Amino acid sequence: MSVLRPLDKLPGLNTATILLVGTEDALLQQLADAMLKEDCTSELKVHLAKSLPLPSNVNRPRIDLIVFVVNLHSKHSLRNVEESLHHVDATFFLGKVSFLATGAGRESHCSIHRNTVVKLARTYRSPLLFCDLEIGDFRVTMAQRLVRMLQICAGHVPSVSALNLLSLLQSSENPSLEDL
Amino acid sequence: METQSEEQAAAETADSRGEGEPPQVAGAQAARPEDRMTLLLRLRAQTKQQLLEYKSMVDANEEKTPEQIMQEKQIEAKIEELEKEIEEAKIAFEMKKLALDRMQLSSALKKHLEKINTKTSVLMDNMKQILSLNKLVMKSQQETRDVEEKLLDVRKKRLQLKQASERKLLEIQSEKNKQKDDLASMENSGKIKTIQQNLEMEIQITTVIQHVFQNLILGSKTNWAEDPALKETVLQLEKNLTTIQ
Repeated sequence: MSVLRPLDKLPGLNTATILLVGTEDALLQQLADAMLKEDCTSELKVHLAKSLPLPSNVNRPRIDLIVFVVNLHSKHSLRNVEESLHHVDATFFLGKVSFLATGAGRESHCSIHRNTVVKLARTYRSPLLFCDLEIGDFRVTMAQRLVRMLQICAGHVPSVSALNLLSLLQSSENPSLEDL
Repeated sequence: METQSEEQAAAETADSRGEGEPPQVAGAQAARPEDRMTLLLRLRAQTKQQLLEYKSMVDANEEKTPEQIMQEKQIEAKIEELEKEIEEAKIAFEMKKLALDRMQLSSALKKHLEKINTKTSVLMDNMKQILSLNKLVMKSQQETRDVEEKLLDVRKKRLQLKQASERKLLEIQSEKNKQKDDLASMENSGKIKTIQQNLEMEIQITTVIQHVFQNLILGSKTNWAEDPALKETVLQLEKNLTTIQ
């Protein structure tokens, strides 16, 4: 039971590593491809995992940002994310964790209410992003956003730290926008 | 640039999806010197930012919040409690083990005795001897106890006698003191009375003598007022002696 800690390794030169955690392999792969296609000055590394904890026998670079992907269509993905969260060190939640809820577009397929995810993200004081990963344009936009966040988390943007990303909470904590 | 699935990470299968594009870092090597400069500058900024992050992390970890200190204290107290419990459990276990051993031993002995001839065995002799010895020990203990009781009684009596003698001595002393006081007061009162009586008598005698002298002088019909010495005497005789005291 290894707990994932931020800043426990030295960063690679000009590399930023993101960890996508979710049960939907195909969606994660597509998102990773979209991120790698983004034009970016840093060298990106995308790691995919179905759940935490990660296998400890692998030598992996420092992880700068964890994105938990919740598919609103399956309760299993939510439970998986909730269980994985126990293996993340508390200091990671200082801006280096974000939640990504997908599948909100087709409301009829949703088996999880949006409020559940909102509550989850609020409990962990982490930003929550909504995106339909199955739609290409949305995916590209989300990839851009994630790349930008990743650069900030990896310390590649001068004078901006991961803590500044907590300002994303303000929009997600505003209930009027979400509920309307 | 690479994508890596953690599920298959044991095999270290790094996807080569990023290979199609030229990696930015590698591309910079072929670029012009200005580009290289900007790259270096950017790397410097990055490193600075990362250093800052690590520094702040170290600073934050160095400070211990009072809650942590409290927690540590609580943990220490808890550890002590738990250790005590363990000790108690160990002691209880030892006691139980001893009791069990004794029971096993006694049952084994019983079985053994049932098997062998009771009259000739060494064990029985031993036990008999032990019993007799025990009886002796008990008897002597009883004796010592009796003797000790006697000793205690004697001591008690001595103490009582001592206390009684002390009380008596005190009484005698107080009695003596009383007698002395009484005597003193009695003596004093007798003497004063006799002295007073004597004084009164003397006063009376003197008054009589005074009157006699006065009458003598008056009877001689001398003019006592002319002679100053005589005048003084006569006037002196006029003094009432009862007022002197």
